[in-house]
Parts: sequence; structure tokens; C-alpha cells
Amino acid sequence: MSDQSPAHNLVFGMAGSGGDGIVSAGDSLLQAAAAEGYHGVMTKSFGSQIRGGESSCRVRISTEPILNPGGNLDVAVALNWEDFLKFGAELPVSGNTVVIYEAATLIPPDRIPLVGVVPRQVIPVPMTQMAKDTAGTERAKNTVVLGLIAGWFGIGAVAVMKGIRKKLAKKGEELVEANQRAFDAGRAFAMANPLRVNMNIVPSETKGALKLITDGNDMCAAAAIFAGCRFFGGYPITPSTEIMQFFTDHVWKYGGSVLQAEDEIAGIGAAVGASFAGVKAMTATSGPGLSLKTEMMGLATIAELPLVIVDVQRGGPSTGLPTKNEQSDLFAACFSAHGDVIRPVLAPTCVADTFRITVEAFNIAEYYQTPVIILSDQEISQRKETLDPIDVSQFEIIERLQPNAHDLKDYKRFAQTENFISPISHPGMLGGTYLASGIEHTEGGAPTNSGTVHARMNDKRTRKFDPLKDRKDLFEVLGNPSAPLAMVAWGSVAGVCREALQMALDEGLNVKLMVPYLLYPVAEGAYREFFASVRKGLIIEQTHLAQFHKLLRMHLDLPAGVRPLARSGANPFLPGEIVAALHNLLSELQRRHEGKLQPQE
Amino acid sequence: MNGTATCDFQPKDYKSDLKPIWCPGCGDFGVLQGIYRALAAIGRPPHEIAFVSGIGCSSRIPGYTTAYGFNSVHGRSLPIAQGIKMANPDLLVLAAGGDGDGFSIGGGHLAHMVRRNMDIAYIVMDNQIYGLTKGQLSPTSHKGLTTCTSRHGSLEEPVNPLLYMLAYGAGFVAQAAPTDLPGMAAIIEAAIRYPGFAFVNIQSPCVTYGMEEQQLKGLKAMQESLEGLGHDSTDRLAAMDLAQHYGRKLHLGVFYRNPEPPPTYGDLVKARQEELSKNALPVERILDLFIKK
Repeated sequence: MSDQSPAHNLVFGMAGSGGDGIVSAGDSLLQAAAAEGYHGVMTKSFGSQIRGGESSCRVRISTEPILNPGGNLDVAVALNWEDFLKFGAELPVSGNTVVIYEAATLIPPDRIPLVGVVPRQVIPVPMTQMAKDTAGTERAKNTVVLGLIAGWFGIGAVAVMKGIRKKLAKKGEELVEANQRAFDAGRAFAMANPLRVNMNIVPSETKGALKLITDGNDMCAAAAIFAGCRFFGGYPITPSTEIMQFFTDHVWKYGGSVLQAEDEIAGIGAAVGASFAGVKAMTATSGPGLSLKTEMMGLATIAELPLVIVDVQRGGPSTGLPTKNEQSDLFAACFSAHGDVIRPVLAPTCVADTFRITVEAFNIAEYYQTPVIILSDQEISQRKETLDPIDVSQFEIIERLQPNAHDLKDYKRFAQTENFISPISHPGMLGGTYLASGIEHTEGGAPTNSGTVHARMNDKRTRKFDPLKDRKDLFEVLGNPSAPLAMVAWGSVAGVCREALQMALDEGLNVKLMVPYLLYPVAEGAYREFFASVRKGLIIEQTHLAQFHKLLRMHLDLPAGVRPLARSGANPFLPGEIVAALHNLLSELQRRHEGKLQPQE
Repeated sequence: MNGTATCDFQPKDYKSDLKPIWCPGCGDFGVLQGIYRALAAIGRPPHEIAFVSGIGCSSRIPGYTTAYGFNSVHGRSLPIAQGIKMANPDLLVLAAGGDGDGFSIGGGHLAHMVRRNMDIAYIVMDNQIYGLTKGQLSPTSHKGLTTCTSRHGSLEEPVNPLLYMLAYGAGFVAQAAPTDLPGMAAIIEAAIRYPGFAFVNIQSPCVTYGMEEQQLKGLKAMQESLEGLGHDSTDRLAAMDLAQHYGRKLHLGVFYRNPEPPPTYGDLVKARQEELSKNALPVERILDLFIKK
């Protein structure tokens, strides 16, 4: 059983060899769940080889909206044990897990190789044989698995086959029929061998409602195109590459273009050029690529050019853990440049809000004439979520401030204005010619060595961001606003904390959660307000050095009882683990309150 | 295309109010004059021109014109120029810099620039020395050259910019020198008019760290016009043969000009946009791509 009643919430984990169709089965299950009105999240994991080897996926299905892939598995499907065990951390089995495995492994249920765990029920199923018998090919064993799931858990009896039919329609009716037989056989097996505990998921109240299914990378690229981005320059790097792929599929349709450059520097350089030419531009990368792009980010800052940079974080430093999640590019995103630089850093917390955050990133970039970093992470970028349709008409699209006829009379590109934002011309605009430069420049754009001008320009380039810190819509506070116990979390970890918050509130804890979408510049006011009632708190993050905790402490005094709950990737935080940490804080608080002042920290 | 004449312009119309900071006698003064003349001959108004450079003495050059200029970071003029051209193909896009900017720090971009064949003219002021950092070895310095970073003489062979560009497959490769101002202006003009990526190497001597007066005279003596040699500029192999004399002979003129220029990257982009826009969902409905029915 996962964190909530299984009747409302099921977590499936499946693993097998490459070619077993595990990820494809996960996709079918997620789509079927969406069609039946459930919410769902799917993550997948591979070994480090390109083909063959092992692959796994985890699909969480719920009657309520969910923002993380859940904790221990309710259902584990092992097509072979060797592959399954390679994903120990991603697919944790507990005493509440129902384990289904390939009977051909000839391992008796009481001898399965799960050390230190006695699952709720263990069922060997001759999946390969059933696939051969019904479909004539063992390739259909993933369809057998889907039949078993439909039979035992009540998901996808109709929708799965509808999806498979659609997918295979081109390949002929014969193949569709063969898969139908494999699916029916799986379902019949489940009916004939009922589970000891009923784990049927309750029907969703939103059955038939329209759902979208996508991952964070595709969502980010689609949102960028919606926001008006018409140029993408980049270089392939895991786990950000799908953003560029989406652009190469779609941006041409809207009169835009995309450049797969020769390196990361050329990728961002082309985006800087496109922005100079007056077009909204973006680049995307991951850790090592962000390092390479740093000099260009400084250039766009001093030349005051709008630009959106997506950094999909993975484990670092260097090549690190290319396919696993971490939040450790935070310092790099905020600070990696020389000189005095403020560059807004925004972080989405799930696939759904990647849309809003990406549109916001373009709006901020264009309004403030600045590079903006979207600090996404592997977890958000590559997991699939079911989403309710988004009403895009509610989003305002902001364009950069252009000079009017009066401005163009004696045009000064970097004119000092009241809000430090100067009208920006672009090539082709009569009267607007100027020299954009990485070298310090006067209001008119002429290169200068003057320290006075430099100080004034630094002031312009940093103070223009002050209003950003007052944007209440870039922060979310959940739970009891005056609670003495608190959590702060950003990015994908915030999704886990949202669920932990609900669990803690259900247990009667007086607790609240702050989710910042704007990480930098640090909005001191928003945090001061949040921490005013706080006696004990956790800054929860997937970094080794507690980077976010340190970033906050650079800018404000946190209450003494606020400390980091931080660890490196790749193992995800589990909601239950966070609730346990909150209980610890509470007991410390109570002991203090009772006057038994033992040092607790 | 880069070279559509629209109005009557004089060279002075491209001259900005900024005073060049180059040393007296620097070859780059001549290059600047050549660029003014070439632009006037083409006649595109300054505001329709984007002139991008990297870092170095020569990279100051966009600021001395009335065009939209971009004095960027070291070695990266070409990626930025590409982004500009892709974002607005109607602009006349020029890139300029020095030998260090182009062949050392930015050297990785050259091959790819050629592969993409964007309609951009790239002018390198090649002085075989690092001037702005006060006289260090450059990628085109000759072997044995004594500088402050090679006090006992350089151990490296110089790169050969002309041979590189010809080998990469550039459609237009030429060399010029400010000692022949009209010839240089004509070559720059031809490069800008070439529909595709065009490269001009300009031997622009550094009088402070590079050359003594004596050597400058020697440079003049090395000058030889390709036209005078009867070189057929449509013959890439003959061009490569002549380009091997880089550093020993100063051949001036067009080494190679593709007589049948292939479509530019911009043409290909436009064709793709037109083809694919027929099947576009309105952008407000882009999320419909994620509906799984």
C-alpha cells in the first residue's frame, strides 16, 4: 500500500530486459488511466547502455491530482529478477506490495530474491508462455501484463485495448486480434486467481474528462512556442535534448527556426544573436552545458538582451549522474558569471506548472531585457503526467519595450530611465542603430572605461529587478499560515512536499509549506513573512551542500530552528520520510516548550 | 540576398562618430575604409546591416560604422551572426575579427559556418600577432617568431586560414590587403554580394607588435595579384595550390568563387517554414498535441 488508501491511489513498478516492452506497457497503462479519468505520473529508468540491457518504469495512478511518483510500490512486476533488482532504489518493495513475476524463472514464491522484505502477496504468472499461446509471440507479454493489471486492479479493461488497437491499426487486424487474445488471457488469469486483498481502484469521478499527457521537456518547448519563442539554438545533452527535438518538429510551422549548433557556446550564441535581431529566443542544456554557456549569459546580461535558458538539472559535478535527478545546479544558475550579475532563476515544480513558468520566464526576459534561467530537473523533464486542459487565454504575453518615434530622435539604447528599463531597438529599425557590447558602455552604447559609468550601469542592471521580488504570484504558501512548523522546497522536491504536507495536516500537525517559483533574486520579504511564525523548519532539497538553505541564509536571517533536509541525488525523497522528519521537529519543539532544555541540535 | 542596392550612399554615411582607438599606422584603418567603400557600393542603408565581432583590436570595427553593431565575446562572432541571420534573413550580416578571435578561440565554429552556408560575409584582419593583449603568439604567427610568450621562438606551425576555408568547402575565399585599398574594397564588396558564406582574409599589419617598417616593405614586396597570375577563381584545386603559399607569398584577390552557388541556409529554412506551416495548429492550440484520444 502506498501513502494513501490503495483504493484511491496505486503505484506500479515494472522492470524487464530491453525489448520486453516495459516502458510501452507503462505508457499504455498511463493513457488508459487518463482515459478513465484518473490522474497519473509515470517515470522511466534505463541502464546506461543505448540498446538492450534493462529498463523499468513506475506508474502512479490516483483519483486525486498528484505531483510525485509516490513511494513504495503497491504492485511490482518483474519480467526477470536480475533486471528488476538493478532498480532497487527506483522500485522499492515493501510489506504492502503485491509482487507479480515471470513464472518461467522457476523461483518459488517464498524464494524470490527480495532480501529483508516479505511482500503482501507473491504471484508467479507464466507471462511468456501465455503470450506465445495466445498471440503466437512472446513479444506480447507486455500486453499480458496489462491484462493482469486490468483484471486485478480494475484499470484499463476497455481503454487499454482501445489504445493498443489505435497504435497497431496500421500493422493489421491480425496483430490487433493477437494482442486482444493476450490481454484477455492476462485478465482471465487475474479473475481466476483473485488477490487476497481487494485492490480495485475506485472509479474516477472525472471519467470521460479530457486529459493531456506529456512530460516536462515537451511542455516547456510547447509553452515557449506559445509564449512567442521563434528561435532555438542548442546542443544535445541529457536530460534536456527533448526540448530541442520538440522545436525541430514544430517551430518551423510558426515561422521560427532551430539550430543544432556545433557546441553549447554556439547554441546560446545563436540565441543571443536572434534576440539581438528582435526575436524571442531560447536555449536548453544540462549542468556541463550550463558551464559552457556562462560567458554568453554574462554577455546577454550586460548587453541587456532577453534570453531564456533552460537548465535541466542532473547529478553533478561534471558528467556526474547524467540520467538521475538532483537540484545541485542552483548555485551555478544564480551565480555562474564574473562581475556583478543578477539573473532571474525560475523553477517549475511539476509538468503542469512548467507551462506557466516557461511563459513567465519569457515575459520576465522580455520585460527586463535579461537572460532568465528555467531551472528544471530530470524528474520533471522526463516524467509523464496526466494534466487537465490548460486555458491558455488566461496568460498574458509580454513583449520587449520598443522605442517610439520620440525615443528614436536621439536614440540611446541604454538610456537611464525611472525603472531602469530602456527601449530596445533591433536591426532594421530606422534611427535605432547602436552598438551592443560585452564591454562597458555609455547610455548611447559607446565603449567606455569610466568607473563612474560602470557603477551607474551596474546599478541600472541590478536594480531593475527589484519589482520582481514583490511578485506574490511567484510564491505559494500551503497549510496553516501561522504554523510554527514549516517546510520550504522547490522544483520536483516541492511536489513530494505538497503530499507530505497533506499527510502531516491529516495527522494533526500544525505545519505549512512554502514553494518558491522564483529562486533568484531572493525575495527577502516573502521569506520573512513566511518565517515570522516559524519556530522549527526544514529546507528540503536534493543537494549535498544544502545549496538552497545557504542561498537563503546569504540574504536573510532564518529562525535558529530552521535547518536543511538535504541529500544528493539520485534517490527521491519520499513523502513519509519528510513527515517523519516533521515529527522529529515537533517533538523537539514540545520538549523545549516543556522547559526540558536539553540541547537538541 | 546580401547585395540588393536600394539607395545612394556615400562611404561617409557608414562612418560613426566614435574615434578608432587603434595605433597610428594600424592596418585596420585601411580595412575600415575598405568596408565603408564596399557598403556604399552595395547601398544598403546602415540600419539594415548587422555587423558582429568578437574581441580584439579588429573587433572594435563595428563600433566605427553606423550599422547595428555587436561587439560580443572572444571568438564568438560567427554563432551570434548566424542567430541574427536566421532570425531576420532580410538583414545584411557581416562578421569581423582578428586571427586569434577567428582561428584560435573561435576556430571550432568555422567548419560549421561553412557547412551551413549562411549568407554572411566574414572578414578577418590577420596580423599574425595578439595586439590588444600586447604582443603574444597568434595562430597565424610564423614558426620561430619571438614574442613575449615565445621568448625562445615559437615551436608551432601557423594555421593556414585560406587552405582551411577552401578545404571546408567555402563558396567564396579571398585575400586582400589595405596596401591596395580599391582592390580590397572590391573584394569585400564581392564577398558581401556572394549569396552564401564568404570569407576574406585581410593582411592587416600590426605596427606596434607585429612588424617593423622594414618588414612592412617586405610585405609589399610579397604582394602579387591573383588576377595578374591568370588564376581561374572557379577552380578550387588551383586555389588550394596557391593557398599553400600563405605566409610566404601575399596573393591578393579571389582564390575561389563557386560559379554555381548552392541554396543558402536561409533559402532552405524558408522552404521548410513554408512547407510545414500548412499543417500548423494555431499556436493557441499547441497543447492539443498532448491530447491522447
